[in-house]
Amino acid sequence: MARMKFICDAERCIECNGCVTACKQENEVPWGVNRRRVVTINDGVAGEKSISVACMHCSDAPCMAVCPVDCFYRTEEGVVLHDKDMCIGCGYCFYACPFGAPQFPQAGAFGMRGKMDKCTFCAGGPEKDNSKEEFAKYGSNRLAQGKLPACAEMCSTKALLGGDGDVISDIFRDRALKRGKGAEVWGWGTAYGKPDNPQQQAPKGAKS
Amino acid sequence: MLLTRKSASAPSAQSRLAKGLAGMLGKTIDRRTFLKRSGVAAGAGAFASQLPFNLIGKAEAANEAKEGGKIEVKRTVCTHCSVGCSIDAVVQNGVWVRQEPVFDSPLNLGAHCAKGASVREHGMTENSHRLKYPMKLENGKYKRISWEQAINEVGDKLLGIRKESGPDATFWVGSSKHNNEQSYLLCKWVRLFGTNNTDHQARICHSTTVAGVANTWGYGAMTNSYNDMQNAKAIWFMGSNAAEAHPVSMLHVLHAKETGAKIIVADPRFTRTAAKADHYVRIRSGTDVAVIWSVLYHVFKNGWEDKQYIHDRVYGMDKVRDEVMKWTPERAKEVTGVSEEDLYKIAETMSKNKPSSIVWCMGQTQHSIGNAMVRAFCVFQLALGNIGVMGGGANIFRGHDNVQGATDIGPNPDSLPGYYGVAPGAFAHWARVWNIDLEWLKKQYASPAMMSKPGMTVSRWIDGVLEKNELIDQDSNLRALIYWGHAPNSQSRGKEMVEAMKKLDLLVVIDPYPSATAAMAAMVRKDGVYLLPAATQYETSGSVTASNRSLQWREKVIEPLFEAKPDQTIMYLLAKKFGFADQLVGKKDGKQNIQVVNDEPVIEDITREFNRGTWTIGYTGQSPERLKLHMKNMHTFDVKTLRAKGGPCDGEYYGLPWPCYGTPEMKHPGSPNLYDTSKHVMDGGGNFRANFGVEKDGVNLLAEDGSYSKGAELTTGYPEFDHVLLKKLGWWDDLTEAEKTEAEGKNWKTDLSGGIQRVVMKVHGCHFWGNAKARAVVWNFPDGVPLHREPLYSPRPDLVEKFPTHDDKKAFWRLPTLFKSVQEKNKNISKDFPLIMTSGRLVEYEGGGEETRSNAWLAELQQNMFVEINPKSANDRGIRNNDYVWVKTPTGAQLKVMAQVTERVGPDTVFLPFHFSGWWMGKDMLDYYPEGAAPIVRGEAVNTATTYGYDSVTMMQETKTTLCQIEKFQA
Amino acid sequence: MISVRKFVFAGASLIAVVAITGCGEKEQVVVYQQGKYQGKADTKPWENDPGASLYTTSKWKAGDKSGWENALKSRNQNQNEYTRAE
Repeated sequence: MARMKFICDAERCIECNGCVTACKQENEVPWGVNRRRVVTINDGVAGEKSISVACMHCSDAPCMAVCPVDCFYRTEEGVVLHDKDMCIGCGYCFYACPFGAPQFPQAGAFGMRGKMDKCTFCAGGPEKDNSKEEFAKYGSNRLAQGKLPACAEMCSTKALLGGDGDVISDIFRDRALKRGKGAEVWGWGTAYGKPDNPQQQAPKGAKS
Repeated sequence: MLLTRKSASAPSAQSRLAKGLAGMLGKTIDRRTFLKRSGVAAGAGAFASQLPFNLIGKAEAANEAKEGGKIEVKRTVCTHCSVGCSIDAVVQNGVWVRQEPVFDSPLNLGAHCAKGASVREHGMTENSHRLKYPMKLENGKYKRISWEQAINEVGDKLLGIRKESGPDATFWVGSSKHNNEQSYLLCKWVRLFGTNNTDHQARICHSTTVAGVANTWGYGAMTNSYNDMQNAKAIWFMGSNAAEAHPVSMLHVLHAKETGAKIIVADPRFTRTAAKADHYVRIRSGTDVAVIWSVLYHVFKNGWEDKQYIHDRVYGMDKVRDEVMKWTPERAKEVTGVSEEDLYKIAETMSKNKPSSIVWCMGQTQHSIGNAMVRAFCVFQLALGNIGVMGGGANIFRGHDNVQGATDIGPNPDSLPGYYGVAPGAFAHWARVWNIDLEWLKKQYASPAMMSKPGMTVSRWIDGVLEKNELIDQDSNLRALIYWGHAPNSQSRGKEMVEAMKKLDLLVVIDPYPSATAAMAAMVRKDGVYLLPAATQYETSGSVTASNRSLQWREKVIEPLFEAKPDQTIMYLLAKKFGFADQLVGKKDGKQNIQVVNDEPVIEDITREFNRGTWTIGYTGQSPERLKLHMKNMHTFDVKTLRAKGGPCDGEYYGLPWPCYGTPEMKHPGSPNLYDTSKHVMDGGGNFRANFGVEKDGVNLLAEDGSYSKGAELTTGYPEFDHVLLKKLGWWDDLTEAEKTEAEGKNWKTDLSGGIQRVVMKVHGCHFWGNAKARAVVWNFPDGVPLHREPLYSPRPDLVEKFPTHDDKKAFWRLPTLFKSVQEKNKNISKDFPLIMTSGRLVEYEGGGEETRSNAWLAELQQNMFVEINPKSANDRGIRNNDYVWVKTPTGAQLKVMAQVTERVGPDTVFLPFHFSGWWMGKDMLDYYPEGAAPIVRGEAVNTATTYGYDSVTMMQETKTTLCQIEKFQA
Repeated sequence: MISVRKFVFAGASLIAVVAITGCGEKEQVVVYQQGKYQGKADTKPWENDPGASLYTTSKWKAGDKSGWENALKSRNQNQNEYTRAE
């Protein structure tokens, strides 16, 4: 069974923000809401590394666990989605998320919160697939179109991989073997550490 | 099972990560964080609240369309850099609703940077910051006018100026963002108007490259390709920040690195490209020649040069060697700041991991000795025998999407399309192609002398306006200026630019965006400015030349938005007004080269016209039909060689990279790597061009015996071909009778039948431009052997003594040009302006930036103009991160920008991005823009403050090394 | 898009009572059950016909899950440039 995951290859990410605008463009996400962003460490000095971060669609998602109204669900492909009609914008998920994925559109200086918004793995939400309503609330549903997330498909250096966990970890593993380094996958352990499918192995050398 | 509450262990995992991340971020502040934080202080919130909560306003419209209706997929090419990334645009009922990656493209394999992934914004009408209709400045405010009024008024004024002061009183700044057809048509258009005063972005981007490289070995272009870098074993970047300027090129570079290539970056700044390198070396800005010679010193010292290659294919390496051996490690350290160890390591890496490749961009070109820097880098590759080699080459990354094409066949002051020059013979050749009367054309010009005199350059138009009339090399000063797809803030000396704008009689801006020109002009004028809305490249069709010389065909995605018109239509309308519409489309004697539909010249006909004339660089074989076939069959091309395996394009290289010689029917496959003797000329092989005679001071300039392209009948060096040589060799009768009639009295460049090219290549396997050596010494340039010379504004008075600049020049591109007098006057200026000021790109923006800063998806990512300053320099000045500072330069200009304190730059250097405009020395220029057409993000333009300085061959502006002082901003 | 809803928190058990979704054909009161998704049902991506999307190159038959998975798996290889360049 396909189990959707993200990997960002820090050896390849050049902080070009292609993933960020791909997401903005595909889902027409409003100004100020960043479903995906690029984080850089050691900026400007030796050891500079960047990674692209969004919702990782965790196997055992903390957001889902803390949500007081239980508006989250996990699809068969392992994508963590939520029902915006139920969301009360409380922000618990934001505190729970190790990746800072949940976003809240802000209105006014005191940050009155709206409904939570986050990466959908380009899988829309609980509305009719590819409908106007689905797009307005959740953005594009590429999975229903037989496509993968726009961010990963458009990544400038193919650093960001998104798709079936088995497939992308194979792609990543081959790469890491070829170059003989950079096998550490940021976030993998945290997101998928307790996999629903015990047979599924993280790429070699994986750590959080 | 999974929908249970988190187990108790989870929170610790979270806090560990959070802590880890916070800890890492605490160490340094990345640009994004810096901007996010600074945005709050700078009122970025205001931007956000001005925007609709949701950009989905437009999406709603798009989705309504989705409920049914015609869906079309149009294949186009990103307009933001020269990599040439393909995009599939999904269009429904005429609305651009989706953007899909084209995985089949061998150039980008579906990949995009921030700009490429957001080009769909060009199709959005709501919250668009486009120039929406023609406008005219009246009493200091822009008012809407009709197209008819605009064409009539602009036309009448230009005709008046032409009558009073001659055609040379106008200057036409064309565009590297025009496609090939438009830039070719504009080149022709300006000549029909009767002047050579035209130029475009290439002047200020790679003009030194084009001149330097062409004079070294043939023609001025990237020799290999982005893809071919996958075949390299070592790659040396100097003056290129590809990770930000050409992000998708890094797909190939990082792939190469993964399969074993060593990456070296030498730059004054620890760039994002440097972050991916195996070896980074910090150099002092402006010392590139010194660095290259100091590396070559170790190559020669260790005998790592390719002696056979130098013997066979290079002229003058001995003279270079004499200069190079002066660059001892001690001297190198003194001038460049680089240690012997670092220099040796570069030399060793490049020599022992061959083929090795080099990359340069504006870090090398934009200097007063830019032509010498690029030639030194070329010579370095010649010494290692890396030119004409797969995986080697000089990989010169061009900037704009079609800057290569516009350089090749567009509006250049010193050449007609195809580097034919502006000598009478060139006009005779093109008049034939254009199907116009040469005598008529001559009368359009002020005089035969002005006709064959290269025009002014875009870098100096301000002096064309402001310079004393008796000092300029044409009758009148410039009185009218037309910015046709070009930003003003990309040219240096902005402070003087507004003075020039004030003095002009007429300023016309033709652009999809009003650009900073509109605002700058409105700041200093009350009238005499017209803005005409042009269509984008997504609103027309045509070919575009990527940096690797591949031509790709863009389909029209949508109809022009608002009242915009495609550039070719605007050219035709103005030509009608001026009375040369027939000449523009080649209508004479019952023949018409270019058909016109609704005032729009048919794009394919324009392509076919330049196909018929551009024999020099092989823009002859790329017919629209062949190009369109490539666009449909991208998947058949190999990524590493760019060659099609099977399918309808079998054996051809992707995009028929020029030179693609002969007629389209000859089926030349294009040339993936220039000067490559390991391939037959009909397989894309070649050799260095014989353009400088057969010998120099008794030394042979032709290739030595045994050095020739694979399969050539002539197995030694030979001169270029004309009808005489063809007859001498007994090859004349290989021509058909029709070809003979045309070829009689012609050479390979002017024979419109293509017969000479066909016979020499196809029948005899030779190269019609001859087979010569590359020139390590370009004796016709000021420094035949490239020499290090200090910049005009040098931080080192002691080195100015040792390495002074050139003498002043009188009439150089029609203008007096200063070198030594400026340097002398400012020799000790580093006491007051101690910091080296350099500039460069950000990944989110392009060029002058008005277009990309108007795209909300991009603008959100970079909301403030900033200066990168080292913690030491910042602390010495009491400046903290995010503080506003004044950047002051010797011109008296000052820029109010935010400080980003970072070790990316050394303590002696500061860096500013060049994409901003819309602030003028501390003030927001919002009120001066036409209503609703100001970009979302505005900031100080670095070039408001840049200083004087021009290249001694091409008039390239010096923007990469000047001096400044930085002070904390006090309100 | 936002209908009137009221949320009531009942202590630690976090029971939300959602009132009124509109026309009344659905249950008007959702009784919160801990750890169970309370929102609307979503359709599966493979239940769609590829022809229903604006534009796609993937091919499968509506409802054919493994066909959809295979289409995605092969599309996934576009993120691996080694398939086209060693």
